[in-house]
Amino acid sequence: MNVLIVEDERSLSHEMEIYLTKQGLHCDVAFTGAKALEMMWVNSYDFVLLDIGLPDTNGFEILKEAKKNAIDSAFIVLTARSETDDKILGLDLGADDYLAKPFSLPELHARMQAILRRKHGLKVQIIDINGFMMDYQNRTLTYEETPVVLTKKEFDLLHYLALHKGRVLSRSQLTEHIWGDVMDDDYDSNYIDVHVKNLRKKLAAHAPIEWFETVRGIGYRLNAQ
Amino acid sequence: MKLQLKLAIYNALSKALVVLAFGALMPFIVEKVVYNHIDQRLKARTSKVLRIIEKGGLNDIARESDCTFESYNILKEEFILIEPLSGMKDVKPTVITNEEWEIDGEKLNHRIIRQSFIYDNQIYSLQIGEGIDSLNKLKNTIGRVALWATILTIIASIFVDVGYARLLLRPLNEIVERKLKGTKDPVHFNDVPVQTTTLEFQQLDISLTELMQRIKSAFLTEKEFISNVSHELQTPISILKSRFENMLMDEKIDDDVADKLDDSIRKLNRMSKIIKSLLMISKIDNEQFLKNETVNIKALLQEIVEDFQEHLSTKNIRLYMQHLDDFEFPNANRTLLFTLFSNIITNAIKYNVENGQIDISASKQNDVFVVEIRDTGVGIVKENLSHIFDRFKKFNKSTEPSFGLGLAIVKTISDFHRLTLSVSSEANKGTTFRVEFPVSSFT
Repeated sequence: MNVLIVEDERSLSHEMEIYLTKQGLHCDVAFTGAKALEMMWVNSYDFVLLDIGLPDTNGFEILKEAKKNAIDSAFIVLTARSETDDKILGLDLGADDYLAKPFSLPELHARMQAILRRKHGLKVQIIDINGFMMDYQNRTLTYEETPVVLTKKEFDLLHYLALHKGRVLSRSQLTEHIWGDVMDDDYDSNYIDVHVKNLRKKLAAHAPIEWFETVRGIGYRLNAQ
Repeated sequence: MKLQLKLAIYNALSKALVVLAFGALMPFIVEKVVYNHIDQRLKARTSKVLRIIEKGGLNDIARESDCTFESYNILKEEFILIEPLSGMKDVKPTVITNEEWEIDGEKLNHRIIRQSFIYDNQIYSLQIGEGIDSLNKLKNTIGRVALWATILTIIASIFVDVGYARLLLRPLNEIVERKLKGTKDPVHFNDVPVQTTTLEFQQLDISLTELMQRIKSAFLTEKEFISNVSHELQTPISILKSRFENMLMDEKIDDDVADKLDDSIRKLNRMSKIIKSLLMISKIDNEQFLKNETVNIKALLQEIVEDFQEHLSTKNIRLYMQHLDDFEFPNANRTLLFTLFSNIITNAIKYNVENGQIDISASKQNDVFVVEIRDTGVGIVKENLSHIFDRFKKFNKSTEPSFGLGLAIVKTISDFHRLTLSVSSEANKGTTFRVEFPVSSFT
């Protein structure tokens, strides 16, 4: 999977590169709009992560130019500007998603996965979570053919953890994914514990779940069995 | 009152005053002119009679017996009378008077000149009279004609004046209609110059346009500044957050370090949220949000409550929406009103007790539509009530930290929509937020 990171803040593009590489993606980085367009002509990318505020041009211009030339990469617009118009404009121009800075790296990864599912959506994907079979399209979870009934939030929580199997997700990262920024981060984190408690109870009714680990003080992790 | 109307009224009144004055003075003026004319004629006649007497002697014209002479014209319009004055030593001064004079039993108004003269050592009185009844009629006729002519001229001139004033004031009206009314923000100011040859209006138009352009530029600078501040602050936060997240992924780090990293990420999130909130307040204050939606408040409240179900259930709070009336609020921004109510409800959950309760009601009361959100939370003590909408005020030290911008945003959004916001509270009993929507602005 090839990703082009178009971001002039080198520290940020560097961190994004580190994270996505660890997720098994191949990353190229462009610091300017001109370079980004050039790289898009030469290589074929599955994803273009596009910053709007670039030194030589505006990210929207690149998006327009790319769409005009039938580049079929998925575009995720990244912006630190406060204008909600940016979001609308980005999506109108054909961006696949939009993330406001500061975003969470696991969230970025989850959005990319969501786009992949949408783009190749016809094939039913079943995720095996240590015997629990998750069908994301139909939003069902079964254990040995027995359905496990989850609330929407519990399902999203489990899916997000499964997507980052083997890695710790902190309460604030989980909160950000589940609620966006409805309430204060500090306050919302407590709700995550309640949801995890309920989720664990439901799962444990079917099988032992020692793989569903609480990482002291930080958050949660799903381990391989 | 419109300037044009004021000018028209002033014109009409001042001219009416002229007509009145003219009407009042007219009889005197005409009389004066007419009498002056008659007097001249009487004096001329007197001189003529005296010359005849001087030349031919009195005897030629006077009766022998008493030396008296009387003559009338046939219509009794004029008469002449000469009679000796006995017992008079000196010549009396000439006088002209109006008198009723009886001629052959018929009384008629005459203007009479009386002059004494000496003839043959005898003082005589010469009286020449001229009937003025017909003249009085003429005088009235002239007065009436003059009055009507004046009135008609003035009415015509009022129409001309009003028309001209309208023509003259057209650029001013255009400036008011096109440039001032309906210009809610400087970005939408119409800077096409108004066509006029009047110097003052040209200057007014130019000054207004220059002023508006200066405000517009300040407004846009501010808007860009807000956008830039957001970019300049959120970008480094984003870098740090990503860096900490990457460090957190490292399996080798101690739990202790991981804790600190996670805490740092949370602090960054809080910082980012504060920046967003401050910028939001600033943008609302700068009127950078549109108010072009009609919002159904009932549906809005239901939608918000739906969003909060999970939060309510985790704290086991019961929420009742007993009485919700339908109400369409025009000229509003739905996103902002959503934020307003969800911030109040967030507070009602956050400061509520386990197994607490929240009551939401929305009803039309007299001239206002009132939404009340009542909780059974920790409440706010009286001395703090007036400060709860201030930025960065926080009172419930014992509960989870919060940075008080939620209610400051509520206040800003409420002011932006001209709503009336009030709060009442009792410590350890609960708090009630009351939002009043003006009903008069909808039909």
